[in-house]
Amino acid sequence: MSGSVSATYVKRVKGFFLWSLFIIIMFLSFRVSNLDIKTLVEGFSYSVSLIKEMFPPDFSRWEKILLLSIETIAMGFWGTILGMTISFPLGFLSAKNTSGGILYNISKGLVNFLRAIPDIMYAIVFVTSLGMGSLAGVLALALSTVGLLSKFYAEAIESIDRKPVEAIEATGSHGLGVIRHAVLPQVFPLFMGYNLYLLDHNIRAAMVLGLVGAGGLGVELFTQMRSFNYQKAAAILIIIFAIITVIDRVSAQLRKNIIEGKFLSRENRYKDSLLLLIISVIAMLSLYFIPVNFKEIAYGIPRIWEFLKGMFPPDFSGIADYIKLMLETVGMGISGTFLAILISIPIGVLSARNVIHAPVIYNIMKEISNFFRAMPELMSALIFVAAVGLGPFAGVLAIAIHTAGFLGKFYAEAIENVDPKPVEAVEATGARFIQRIRYSVFPQVMPLFNSYNLYILDRNIRASTVMGIVGAGGIGFDLVMSMKLFEYQKTATLILIILLTVMLVDWLSSYLRKKVV
Amino acid sequence: MVRIENIKKRFNGRNVLDGVNMSLRRGEAVALIGPSGSGKTTLIRTINGFVVPDSGKVIVGGKGINYRNKESLRQTRKKIGMIYQLFNLVERTSVLENVMAGALGRLDNGVNLISSTIGLFHKKERDKAMELLKFVGIEDKAFERVDRLSGGQKQRVAIARALMQDPELLLADEPIANLDPKTSRKILELLLRINMEKGITMICVLHHLDTVKDNFSRVVALKNGSICFDGETYTLTHDHIHDIYEFEEETGCLAA
Repeated sequence: MSGSVSATYVKRVKGFFLWSLFIIIMFLSFRVSNLDIKTLVEGFSYSVSLIKEMFPPDFSRWEKILLLSIETIAMGFWGTILGMTISFPLGFLSAKNTSGGILYNISKGLVNFLRAIPDIMYAIVFVTSLGMGSLAGVLALALSTVGLLSKFYAEAIESIDRKPVEAIEATGSHGLGVIRHAVLPQVFPLFMGYNLYLLDHNIRAAMVLGLVGAGGLGVELFTQMRSFNYQKAAAILIIIFAIITVIDRVSAQLRKNIIEGKFLSRENRYKDSLLLLIISVIAMLSLYFIPVNFKEIAYGIPRIWEFLKGMFPPDFSGIADYIKLMLETVGMGISGTFLAILISIPIGVLSARNVIHAPVIYNIMKEISNFFRAMPELMSALIFVAAVGLGPFAGVLAIAIHTAGFLGKFYAEAIENVDPKPVEAVEATGARFIQRIRYSVFPQVMPLFNSYNLYILDRNIRASTVMGIVGAGGIGFDLVMSMKLFEYQKTATLILIILLTVMLVDWLSSYLRKKVV
Repeated sequence: MVRIENIKKRFNGRNVLDGVNMSLRRGEAVALIGPSGSGKTTLIRTINGFVVPDSGKVIVGGKGINYRNKESLRQTRKKIGMIYQLFNLVERTSVLENVMAGALGRLDNGVNLISSTIGLFHKKERDKAMELLKFVGIEDKAFERVDRLSGGQKQRVAIARALMQDPELLLADEPIANLDPKTSRKILELLLRINMEKGITMICVLHHLDTVKDNFSRVVALKNGSICFDGETYTLTHDHIHDIYEFEEETGCLAA
C-alpha cells in the first residue's frame, strides 16, 4: 500500500513538471507567432474585409482558367503515374518480408529521406534547374509520391497474411512466383486504394506548386493575388475548390468500392471499365499540356548536378540565426496545432453521429471539416498574408484552418467508435450525464485524441517549414531566398537543420504516440 | 426486495417477455436459466430500467420503478449493481479509476459532483475502493491499465465497481460465460460469498445447469418469455429440464 502511495506521489510531481513545461512551450510558441486574443480578433475582421473585396468573383478570363485547370490536373495525374511506377519496385524492396540485407536498408532510407522533404521544395529545385513550367511540377510530385507511396506499399506488404505465402512456397515456387501469386493478390486492392488517394492528394498539391512557378492554376492565383486583383483571384479559388471537392468525392467513393471488392465486380464491370477508359483518354490528351522538352531536360540535369555540387561544403556561419529561425518555425507549428485543436473540438463533437442525433447538424459539421481539409494550406496562407500581412501569424492561421479539418474528422470518428458497453455500465451505477461522459466516454477517446494531436503537431511543424515561401513566416523564407541568390551552401545548412528537426520531431511524436494509446 | 408483476415486452413483433411474475426476498440468491432468446437478459434489464416494459410493474425495495422520470430511474440504479458477460470496463484506464466509477451515483451532489468530475475523490472513497479490490483479490493491480488484465481479473474489477455502489441488489448477466472453467468457478464463488457475507440480494443469469445445481438453492427458468419453473433447485427434475430446453417449433430456436 505504501509503495503505491509513493508511486502516485512521484507521478504527481512528474505530472506537475510536464504540465509546467507544456505551458512554457505554449507561451513561447504564442509569442513567436504573434498569437493572442487581440491579433486573432483583428485577423478575423481583416479576413472578412478581404473576402468582401473578393466579391463578385471575376470570371472574365475563363478560357485561361479552364486551360490551366486541365494543366493542373494533368500535372497531378502524371506525377502520380511516374511516382507509382517507381514506388512499385521500391515498395517491395523496402518491405521487411520481401526484401533483406543492405538492399532493404538502402531502399528504406531513400524512401524516408524522400518523404522528409516537402513537395514544394522539390518544385523549387526543379524550377531553378529546368525552368518554370509544369514539367518541374510533375517531377516534384513524382518524387514526393515515391516517398509516400513506397511507404504505404511497404506497410501493406508487411501486413499480409503469411499462410497463403507458405502454401505457394510449399509448391516449390520461385521467389517471383510467390510474390505474383501469394503477395500481389493480397495487396492489390490496398495498392489501388493508395494510388487513388495519392492521385487525389497530388491534384490538390498541383494547385499549390504554381506558387513557386511549377505550372498550373497556382501561378495564375499567385500573380492575381500579388497584383491585388482579388476578384480575379476569387474566381480561380472557386474553380480550385470545385475541382478539389469533385475529385475528393469521386476518389472517396472509388476507394470505398475497391476496398469492398465492388470495383470491376460483375455488376459494375461495364460502368467501371468505361470510367477507366475515360480516365485513360483524358490522361493521354492531358500529356499535351506537359511540355516534355528533352533539350531542356538535357540542359537541366547538369544544373541539378551543379546545384547539388554547389551545396558542398555547407556554410555554417549563420547557424545560430538559423537555429533560432527553426525554433520559431517549430513555435508556429505548435501554435497552429493548438488553434486547430480549439477549432476542431466543437466540430468533432457536433459531427459525431452518436452524440448529435440530428442528421442535419452532423452533416453540416462534416461538410465544414471537409471544406477545411480540402483547402491547401499554402494557398490559404497566401490569402491570409493578404489579409493580416506578412509574418508567422498568417502561416499559423493557414495551418490551423487546414488541420482543423483533419482533427475534426478524426475526433468525430473516435467518438463514433466509442464502445457503448462501459457507457451503459457507468449509467447503471446511477451516474449523472456529466459523470458518464467523464468516466466512460472521455477515457476512451482521450488517448486517441492525444495521438491524433501529436500526429498533427508533427505534420504541422513540417508544414510550417515551407510557409515562408509565400511570406507566412518561418525558416522557409530564408530557404527560398538562399536559393534565389544562388547561395547554395547556405541552402545546404538550412536543409540540414530542417531535416534534422523534422526527423527529431517525427521520432518524438511516434514515441509519445505509442505511449498515449 | 424485488417484485416483478406481469411484465410484458414486445420486440420486432415477438413477445420477448409475456407476463412474467417473480419476487425475491432480501438476501436471496436466484439463478435465472433458459434457452437463448428466452428473455433472460431483457428481464434483468427491466429491473435497472435499460429496457422499458410495455406493461406491468417492477418494484425494487418497496418502490415501483418510474421509467419515464430520468431522475427517479437514476435513484433506482444507484442501489443496483450490474455485472456483465463482457465486463463493460473502460479498457484504457486504471483498475482503480474503473472501480471509482461505481461511486459516481452516490457522489452526485454539490462538491462531490464537481470533484468527481475533475477526477478527485475523498480519501475515504479511495480507501474503500482499495479495500474492495483486496476483497475481490486484485489489490496489487490497482494501478494497472485494465487492458493488461486477464478475463477473470477484469470480472473482479467489474464486481468491485458494482460493490462500490453499496448496492442492495446485484444483477449478473452471464457473469462467467466468457471465462474458462477454473476462473468461472472462482468468480461464481466470489459472487456467492458477496451474497452470503454482505447479504446482497442477487439475480444471476447462468447457462450451465450443473453450476446452478451445485450453487443455488432457488432457480427460475424462462421459456418463450414466460416463467416455466420457479422453485427449489432440488425439485428441478429431468422432465423439467427437457421441457425448458426442448426444441421449440414456434420460434425455431434450438436449445443448447
